[in-house]
Amino acid sequence: MKIRIKRQDEPETAPYWQTFDFFGKGRKTVAGILDEINYRDDLIDENGVPSRRIRWECSCMQKMCGGCAMVINGIPALACGTFVDTTEEELLVLEPLTKFPVVSDLVTDRSCILEHQKAALMYLGEKSAENEKEFANRYSAAKCIKCGLCLEVCPNYVGGEGRFYGAVLANEAYLLYTSSENRKKAIAKEYRRHFAAGCSKSLACRDICPMKLPTLSSIGYLNRTRL
Amino acid sequence: MKILIIGSGISGLAAAIASADMGNHVVLVSPYPSERAQSVMAAGGINAAVGTAGEDDSYVHHAMDTIKGGCYLENEDDVRQFCERAPENLRWLEQMGVVFNRKEDGAISLRAFGGQSRKRTAYAGASTGKQIVTALVQKCREYEIDGRIQRRLGLHFYSGLIRDGVCYGALFCQYFTGVLQAIYADAVILATGGQNKLFGKTTGSELCDGYAAGRLFSQGVQLRNLEFIQYHPTTIETDYKRMLITEGARGEGGRLYYLDGEKRVYFMEDKYGPKGNLMSRDIVSRCIYDCPSQVYLDISFLGEKLIHERLEEVYQLCKDYIGLDVTKEPIPVAPSIHFFMGGIRVDRNHRTNILRLYAVGECASKYHGANRLGGNSLMAAVYSGRVAAEAIHREEAVKVRVENFASYIEQEEALLNRIKESRSQFPSVYILRNLAEIMNDNLGITRNRKGLSEGLEAMDLYLNVMKSIKFDHTVSLYENYRIDSMLLLAKAILCSAMAREETRGAHIREDFPETKEAFQKCSVAELVDGQIQINFEAESCEKESAWYENSDKKTG
Ligand code: SF4
Ligand code: FES
Repeated sequence: MKIRIKRQDEPETAPYWQTFDFFGKGRKTVAGILDEINYRDDLIDENGVPSRRIRWECSCMQKMCGGCAMVINGIPALACGTFVDTTEEELLVLEPLTKFPVVSDLVTDRSCILEHQKAALMYLGEKSAENEKEFANRYSAAKCIKCGLCLEVCPNYVGGEGRFYGAVLANEAYLLYTSSENRKKAIAKEYRRHFAAGCSKSLACRDICPMKLPTLSSIGYLNRTRL
Repeated sequence: MKILIIGSGISGLAAAIASADMGNHVVLVSPYPSERAQSVMAAGGINAAVGTAGEDDSYVHHAMDTIKGGCYLENEDDVRQFCERAPENLRWLEQMGVVFNRKEDGAISLRAFGGQSRKRTAYAGASTGKQIVTALVQKCREYEIDGRIQRRLGLHFYSGLIRDGVCYGALFCQYFTGVLQAIYADAVILATGGQNKLFGKTTGSELCDGYAAGRLFSQGVQLRNLEFIQYHPTTIETDYKRMLITEGARGEGGRLYYLDGEKRVYFMEDKYGPKGNLMSRDIVSRCIYDCPSQVYLDISFLGEKLIHERLEEVYQLCKDYIGLDVTKEPIPVAPSIHFFMGGIRVDRNHRTNILRLYAVGECASKYHGANRLGGNSLMAAVYSGRVAAEAIHREEAVKVRVENFASYIEQEEALLNRIKESRSQFPSVYILRNLAEIMNDNLGITRNRKGLSEGLEAMDLYLNVMKSIKFDHTVSLYENYRIDSMLLLAKAILCSAMAREETRGAHIREDFPETKEAFQKCSVAELVDGQIQINFEAESCEKESAWYENSDKKTG
């Protein structure tokens, strides 16, 4: 199989494409493939040119850390959660996420996600009594890995500078709203400003989320709250 | 006071929050955000004797189990304090909004975990570490907003700014420019995690490579108990890594067996009775290792409801990565490297032997002795972070003369530049791969002199080769400069394993199968004139001490 990768040496340099041969057996995750390619003694592309190893962000290799989000055959996904059949005559195309600045190769700078959470004052304050009814959804919402895939696919998310912060913020707001004693109002207000005001309900965020976060119920819950 | 914290997993976050709580200024540095830290992979739970399981638990029992599980190496007062404050630390986490599982009456649910006399492991499904990280990140964010905590991402640790036994800060390398940047502080807390990467693929994060511990070792920091490496008994194999099946699966009732023809042999229960599946990890791993055929973990009989409610992550993991339905089939498991009991030597306030340098979380060696109990690492991460922060605050900045490191920094920069301009024959991955092979071959579940000497010989060879190896342009600067220190740390581990001529906890010597009184001590590794020295020092844990006897009586 051939692997075509959109590469970039540094943040400011121009991207270029490079293709590698990969002879694997059976079903493998994209992360597994990248790992194998990088661990060869020499990395040579399909034309025999020795190459720099492929940069991609990874920590857990099992869908727990959000590092490896990239665009795989045109679809944004986690490399460690996406399986491909390596025996088939296939072309695997890997590109960095498009809504975040590229650091190098498949690594993007997603620090804006954290900046947004700060800008929207997403913190708990005093904790309220347990809200057992919401337990299951709260547990799920807390599993957001800040991978940014929901932003990548959202038609309303225009990048770091905009005011709309996407599903990742809606879920954080829900989690905090349901357990805060003294900041409910502030959280709901920020949610409105940075999410509800810009959401056109494409719901692409719900379908793409690798952690299957309950984005719809988070939104529904917060939309029902009154300021 | 300005406190520099390196690493932003649970222990680093706990230290940062606690420091900021007390009004100190924190600079929290890590290459990646907290969401990427290995802490998010901790699954099963966190120990605190809160007694909500209807058993007469107390911190004394918790401490006894911890000391016994660790094979009597730890200082009992330190462990006692750790356990005594565990319930308070659990409340601290609750107050920050961690979504723990609860009983109907609202009290925190507890599950049984290995090597413990009572149920005392609080949990959040099977993603306890992640749930804690989420809450701590939110709290940390509050302080980032008001300026008490300043977070710096994209910086890799390079070295400590240490002179004459005092630490003044640390040097970091910027991912791209390769420029070294100094951050000075009144105290430095290291929270850089374990060293799995020395072993290649383990259950943990790719990012935990032990570099910081290795580099600091070369700068005079003492390391302790490096030979004690935990093999987690139940991991599954995938093509590129081993994945953990949480101890919670056995805590909820999961059973281990192997097949003798058609017959299931429940070897742990046969040997240790009904609680056999929950013996401490060193024992279970050893037993699995000795089994004549593939071992399976069966949870299918627990029923779909319980599995989806409390072990959903186990269900998903097996479904996604090995195509197995745990509600119907048993899971093939084998032990794999999971945790390092050894690390930077610290006292009860988590001070290292270098003034103003502290170590917390997995990079520090404390409480777990020769074998860590499941659920104690998360609690130790929280506890150690808080304790170090408190100690720094209490002692206030140790006033020292301001030192000028400009020439040191220039010298290191020149060195890096020289290296960068050269070309290596050997790809760095080649060395890493060989390193992992040596470590796995010679530091397995059982060890012996022959293997360890071979490992040491090979390590010396690579350390020597490294002197002439120059820059590998196919990887980043960090991936180049880290190798030397990783090899040095690996060598220190092999030396420690060689020096401990007995079997204790996770350190099983085929050539010394007995546990020896003379080795009821911690190994301390130190670099003296370029040579690794290993000494054994007792941490004053008297098995027969009055406290222990009394608590023994209490347990009955
Ligand atoms: S909501 Fe889902 S897709 Fe968005 S950042 Fe969180 S885990 Fe990723
Ligand atoms: S490497 Fe952690 S999510 Fe893929």
